[in-house]
Amino acid sequence: MSVRTPSILPGFGITLGYTTFFLSAIVLIPLAALVAKAGTMGWREFLDVLLDPRAVASYRLSFGASLLAATLNGVFGFIIAWTLVRYDFPGRKLIDALIDMPFALPTAVSGIALTAVFAENGWIGQYLAPLGIKVAYTWIGIVVALTLIGLPFVVRSVQPALLEVQRDLEDAAETLGAGRFYIFRRIIFPTVMPALLTGFTMAFARAIGEYGSVIFIAGNLPMKTEITPLLIVIKLEQFDYTGAAALGFIMLVISFIMLLSINLLQAWGRRRLVAAGR
Amino acid sequence: MSIVLDQVTKRYQGAPVVNDVSLEVAEGEFFVLLGPSGSGKSTLLRAIAGLTSVDHGRIHLHGQDVTHLSARQRGVGFVFQNYALFKHMTVGENIEFALRVRRMKAAERVKRRKELLRLVALEGMDDRLPTQLSGGQQQRVAVARALAHKPQVLLLDEPFGALDAKIREELRRTIRQVQRELKITTVLVTHDQEEAFALADRIGVMNLGRLLETGKPEELYASPATRFVATFLGAANLLLARQTAQGICFGRMPVRTQVSERAETTREHEVVAVLRPEEIELAPTRDALRTSFIANGVVEEVVFTGALERLRVRIDNDSAEEARLAAVSSDSQPANAVLEVTRTQHEQRAFPVTLQQTVAIGVRRIHVLPTPLSSYTACGPTSEAVQRLVRHPFLTELAARMKTRIAVRTEAALGQLDTDKPASEPITGVAVISSSGNVARQVEWLLRNGAGEIMVLPAHVAAPRRVLIHWADDVVRRSTLAVAASLLRHVPAEAVYLGILPSHSDESQKPIGVRSLLDARSEAQAVHGLEMRTELHFGAAGEELHRQLSEAPDQMLILGISNMQQIHEEFGALFAAPASYSMMVVYRSAKEIDQAARADHARGDHVRDEAPVKARERAAIGR
Repeated sequence: MSVRTPSILPGFGITLGYTTFFLSAIVLIPLAALVAKAGTMGWREFLDVLLDPRAVASYRLSFGASLLAATLNGVFGFIIAWTLVRYDFPGRKLIDALIDMPFALPTAVSGIALTAVFAENGWIGQYLAPLGIKVAYTWIGIVVALTLIGLPFVVRSVQPALLEVQRDLEDAAETLGAGRFYIFRRIIFPTVMPALLTGFTMAFARAIGEYGSVIFIAGNLPMKTEITPLLIVIKLEQFDYTGAAALGFIMLVISFIMLLSINLLQAWGRRRLVAAGR
Repeated sequence: MSIVLDQVTKRYQGAPVVNDVSLEVAEGEFFVLLGPSGSGKSTLLRAIAGLTSVDHGRIHLHGQDVTHLSARQRGVGFVFQNYALFKHMTVGENIEFALRVRRMKAAERVKRRKELLRLVALEGMDDRLPTQLSGGQQQRVAVARALAHKPQVLLLDEPFGALDAKIREELRRTIRQVQRELKITTVLVTHDQEEAFALADRIGVMNLGRLLETGKPEELYASPATRFVATFLGAANLLLARQTAQGICFGRMPVRTQVSERAETTREHEVVAVLRPEEIELAPTRDALRTSFIANGVVEEVVFTGALERLRVRIDNDSAEEARLAAVSSDSQPANAVLEVTRTQHEQRAFPVTLQQTVAIGVRRIHVLPTPLSSYTACGPTSEAVQRLVRHPFLTELAARMKTRIAVRTEAALGQLDTDKPASEPITGVAVISSSGNVARQVEWLLRNGAGEIMVLPAHVAAPRRVLIHWADDVVRRSTLAVAASLLRHVPAEAVYLGILPSHSDESQKPIGVRSLLDARSEAQAVHGLEMRTELHFGAAGEELHRQLSEAPDQMLILGISNMQQIHEEFGALFAAPASYSMMVVYRSAKEIDQAARADHARGDHVRDEAPVKARERAAIGR
């Protein structure tokens, strides 16, 4: 479609202009600078930085922990949203307000708080230690921190979707003979699925980029509990700007591929929903 | 019986939304629950399906008590107003939902699906998504889905609510066809009387949580028993008339016309007459009328609506000889009522009318409501006393709910004791007096001057929450129950019948007392549709009633008497002291009851002993 085609909705030109400007200034130009910086390296050098065993271990940890944290959030965030939407109990409003706390808290504070609680002498850590479970300074701690950070995304995207599930639909299914679990599986879950996937994606994206809370609880042992963002900071502290840029670039590529595939998956699901008729 | 509801009550935050509903729907019957929004009809339907629990009463489906079964176990077919289709499933998947739940084999599922789609005329739509269908088609899918598991009962909750007129009519026809083909017991809820008429084998009209009347559409339309049904089912003019020995009178002359009446007494009394707009005839002069003349009137409004012409005609009381017509509705001027009239093309051609033209009004058919409470007349010795009564909150509330008027009457005789001076003219309607002064004397004077029902109101009394019912002897039993039923249709109170045995009665009399209680209860329920509790007490009747009424606030007594001496003797205690409770005294003498019965017998009217509601019930059960 030509941009010049007169549109019924006015303001297309100016809104597209602003969109382009902001995307360029805030997202595209800094990313381009990153790519340009990485591009100053030779291929050999570039691959050396990327395939450094320490770096490879950090990718696995970063993406693995993020995926696990987002999945946990998907499950428990859904349950929390369900509880908040479906039941009325004293303190419901308070819990609803608490959900947003991880947004407001400086992430470093969350990290320190989690470390204090899960350390071997902490409130929870002292009971886990005899069981042989170490949380702080291991990959488990990283997952805990990332889960905390991503929780609001899932709850806040699932909540409105759950509110929209009409009670009539459940009543209809019940008169047709469906039990509670069947209704959940066949009626409620498919309706809420797109919103849940959105929440999952956002929580996942946030977890990949998270730095502040993780460095306090992770212990930062090379090859074991070192996440990629930390590795980038270490490179920066050693004034290895191009190395940092190379790591940033590869994170960018992997994240982009993963988010794009989730989005495509979602679009495919929606298309099946809306336009399956032949 | 396919569906049996027994005294079903559902409360929301203490207030009953479904109040004591008993109903039977026969196998294969198409029953329509009709009522305004908020009348509790949808709640009742959901209760039948098991989607809403009930607080009291029992629900039977095909002889099985399902009161405590879940919707899933009851397995009725339910169609929702907003279709409630599963949007992420195709039409076929929607229809197969109930079959999948039941783990039916794929081949059988497909066969059943095709069958159902043919039934609702949607062949080949299997793979569409609900969002790709029109509203009417979506509702067809919903009907097919509800029928998939072959339920024995189909319930539809305002299924045409969201559709436009044309599609509504088409879908209505489909549903009627499907119902006939499957012979499935069906209950449909609607607020549209036209829809109810078009679909129903039988209609039940609900208002304020109560099921007021049930019956075949044409019967309900022709002879409603309550004001609400008369005005809700089609248009109706409600007029106050007098029932005399000669027949129905609007003025001095009896109206010679077809009257569906049920005279319970020969005593002249006020009644509420229903005149359907299409039963009214207009003519240039009184002599040109082919039907019975009631009054002259002035045409105030003429609206052409295609097949019919709608007119509003203001009755001209001065020109009508002695005919002081009064509309029941309290919001129109009582002196000159406005009649709604509809005329066919044929009638319009025979006598074209213009605005402000004076016409003679005749009527082809009059239906008299069996309610004993027609209107209220506030009576007192001075006009101040009368005005105080007219402004009484309980009385104004009651009149507003019954959509009736409060007339006023100043009679000096009410203030003077020991006078036999008669009233200026006979008392009409329910006489209302305040409870100050010598109540017993006033009541007796009013009864002597033609009153049949007298309400005694203390100055500060609220609407009752408990209504006690008692009658002196069996002569007035029927009338007292009729008054109680009529009053309780408009007052959300609990009804209790008090049976009282003398305190010295021995054990052998107790069973007789208990039996009379049970008889009273079943008569109230069967004849008047009134649900009441019963209590047996011992003592002197007057004192015992006074004690019960003084015990708790917000109580009212409905007392039937057949002899004026009973005011002073048996029930003297109730009239002696200034009371804190309101009272309704119902008076019928043995003589007048006897005469009415004989007159009825002469007419060969054998169904007289059953109120119209019950007679209709019988007809439906026998079918």
